[in-house]
Amino acid sequence: MTESKVIDLLAVFSDLAPAADAIEQLRALGVHDDCMNVISGVPVTEAMLGRPRQWTNVPRIAMGGAILGLSAGIFLAYISPFLYPYPIQVSTQSFVPGPPTAVVMFELTMLGMLLSTFLGVFLDSFFPNYRPMKYVPEVSDGKIAILIECPHVDEKKITDALNKMGAESVKPAEAQHL
Amino acid sequence: MIRPEEIKMSTEETGKWGMVIDQDICTGCQACVAACAMENNITFVGEEDAGYGRSMHWIRIERFWEGEYPEVKMTPQQPMLCQQCGHATCEPVCPAFATVHSQAEQLNLQVYNRCVGTRYCANNCPYQVRAFNWRDYQRPEPLPNQFNPDVTVRRMGVMEKCTFCIQRIHKAQDKAKSEGREVMDGEFTTACAQACPANAIVFGRVDNPESLVSQLSHKGHGVKHLEELGTLPNVTYFKGG
Amino acid sequence: MSDNKHHADAAQSHEEHLREKHLMLDPLPRGRMNEMVMESMMEKPTWKFWLVFGFLAFVVVYFLFYQWGVLIVKGQGEAGVMRPDYWGIFLVNTVFWIGISHAGTFISAILRVFKAEFRRPFTRAAELMTTFGLVQAGFSIFMHMGRVWVFYWLLPYPNQRMLWPNLHSPLTWDLLAITTYLLSSTMYLFLPLIPDVAMARDRSTGWRKNIYKVLALGFRGTEGEWTHLRAAMNIFAFAISPVMFSVHTIVSWDFAAATRPGWSSTIFGPYFIVGALHSGMGAAVVVLAVIRGTMKHMDYFVRGEHFDAIGKLMLIISMAWAYFFFNDYMVQWYGGDKWTQQLLHFHEAGPLGWMWFAMLFTNIVLPWAILWNPKWRANPWLVGFVGIAINVGMWFERYIIIPISVTINRMPFTWRMYTPGIEVPMGIGTVALFILLYMAASKLIPLIPVWEVQEGQMAHELKKFGRETVVSVSELE
Repeated sequence: MTESKVIDLLAVFSDLAPAADAIEQLRALGVHDDCMNVISGVPVTEAMLGRPRQWTNVPRIAMGGAILGLSAGIFLAYISPFLYPYPIQVSTQSFVPGPPTAVVMFELTMLGMLLSTFLGVFLDSFFPNYRPMKYVPEVSDGKIAILIECPHVDEKKITDALNKMGAESVKPAEAQHL
Repeated sequence: MIRPEEIKMSTEETGKWGMVIDQDICTGCQACVAACAMENNITFVGEEDAGYGRSMHWIRIERFWEGEYPEVKMTPQQPMLCQQCGHATCEPVCPAFATVHSQAEQLNLQVYNRCVGTRYCANNCPYQVRAFNWRDYQRPEPLPNQFNPDVTVRRMGVMEKCTFCIQRIHKAQDKAKSEGREVMDGEFTTACAQACPANAIVFGRVDNPESLVSQLSHKGHGVKHLEELGTLPNVTYFKGG
Repeated sequence: MSDNKHHADAAQSHEEHLREKHLMLDPLPRGRMNEMVMESMMEKPTWKFWLVFGFLAFVVVYFLFYQWGVLIVKGQGEAGVMRPDYWGIFLVNTVFWIGISHAGTFISAILRVFKAEFRRPFTRAAELMTTFGLVQAGFSIFMHMGRVWVFYWLLPYPNQRMLWPNLHSPLTWDLLAITTYLLSSTMYLFLPLIPDVAMARDRSTGWRKNIYKVLALGFRGTEGEWTHLRAAMNIFAFAISPVMFSVHTIVSWDFAAATRPGWSSTIFGPYFIVGALHSGMGAAVVVLAVIRGTMKHMDYFVRGEHFDAIGKLMLIISMAWAYFFFNDYMVQWYGGDKWTQQLLHFHEAGPLGWMWFAMLFTNIVLPWAILWNPKWRANPWLVGFVGIAINVGMWFERYIIIPISVTINRMPFTWRMYTPGIEVPMGIGTVALFILLYMAASKLIPLIPVWEVQEGQMAHELKKFGRETVVSVSELE
């Protein structure tokens, strides 16, 4: 058989509670949590669906960016004045001005942190991604879709179970251009 | 790359070059204004702009009246130019390092090429002695023939101000160096002092107690303008002596 | 018996009244809301829209860009600046536009941090104001520069002479702060927009679909995507607020750090921030009133309760502004410095004294007289009118602080009144560009964050405490 032994099913629910029940049922049927994904039009938390906590690197990437930004600030404030060919004096202010260095370091820390937070969303979510993906547009109308990866042989069993749990539709998912 | 031990910041009370202006003998003849304009290639802004406060002279004669018309009394003329402050408020505010402190000459330098025209320095000068090139003003022939080759010609959009005729300072220093001696007091002077028919302006080294300018500046009735701001100006005025 | 029925009816009508009043208690199916937002965006522009759009485009091209060309070729002499008014309307406009931009961050970040639910429908409208306002502020500051073609000398990079920017200068801090603020507020505008452009992608065809496809970045709404997005938005909401405060504080230092009577004041930082919020909130209600009045379905999303809520904020901010203004005035007056005395006298009794009194009227008297009343506060056009008045007053305030105050300095020989020149048409050009950008955005991106509204509607319900029906909010986040 050239077909893969694994099939993707997409079940659409119109409410949160049946979707959460369906997830529990799926687990009972032997579908591992890693083989499920929930697609929704509003942020529904993992706790509401009884799903394991999602891991996100965004705060760590933000922290890394903040450290990079602070380093850039330290470089500008404390090192760049020494890179001139000769010392430049303005008024009688000290060569490396005290309070202004705090301003420079603050702004660059925040800039580094916010830029990398933004970048973190792109890295963690694999944005931008214009390849075909498994999706139903009803999701943006407030439906909750469960994407299930299961062995081919279980397709019938799982489809029936999901239909019984109140799924609006259960069908094999096909990757499509969004 | 600068090593920290190279950094010597000047924080002395007295500068190096200074000036004494005696308002009691100033006649307000404007010879200094004209001489300064010739020496330093200052542009002529024309009647309209001059009338609107855009004249670019590096030295100006301020005239005041006291009392209500017709009972008016004129106060002594007050020549006003860059005071070459030791603690200059114009310097730190420039974002581009276009106005900096000369450690060799203890003067406020203006780097025309580096100026981007934010005009913060002029705003922050309590003496209001900085001049901005509001436009590229016309210099009809044969005026360009009169340019002083030792001084840059500035273009639109940059700030400029009195330099204490730094080109003359450097010329005198070069000459003295080639003759293996120090610059003597009175060997040279600024254009304004040279042109003053009443000798109301005296220029020289204020850090040399023997020089005429420092002896004069220590006379009792000398005042420095807006000294209370802590700007450490290097020009002393005599009035009502 | 009839008494009981009367009570029941009253309770019923009270409930209906609550639902009518609050968007969060008046939920529609998500599909319907999407449809409404898409319709409001894709509605075919009327001839009036194109007339205004064309007029504004002309103003932008002629007043802003053509005149800017004239200014660059002929020099700052075309503007009204001279000695002692080295700074004029260009900087007034810079401060004004940065002020306007503060409302967006205040609404979308600070109100998000404090979970103020009324913010939900208009966070995007406010955040757009921030980004577009900062564009005008950036233009205004570049108009002001004498040699704008070498603006890159201010960037922190080593040139051939190994010169870096002067970190002693408040203008350098300004550059860093405004750049940080512009970049981060644009990113903060974009992040919550991703789910909405994904929605628009699913519901559009043709060229729009292509645009939204690119903008949506392939967002589907998986658990991971939502988690990353929410983590990022949370970080932004907390981190962008101090950036916002720092921006206007540094703008105030441009003045407060200078040696000038009337300017060297330690209270300028918070005074400027409150002033910025004052004008920004005023501008936000004007934008909301216009959106509600001109766009389809917007009366569902933007209601009296929102004007009431922002009106309360405006009232509080007006009081705070009055507090800081009086604080600044009092200490300057008491100090007795002769130049400051001259300046204060010049503000009140000088040739532009009317501006000083008009500022006090529109910034204090008018908001206090109107916004105390909950009924008046819920009237979009009335609150919008107060918003316009506050913006005029706050522009006057900056005009008084910059060109009027620099007229008086410690060298009376140089005192001279400022007469604006090319700044006036160019300033009008920035206003036109702001409105133009906003009009274009209202046709291109969903102005209402639908997913945030739905999230809020999910969290709200009516709950009975005894006989009283009250609004109850669940914390979903």
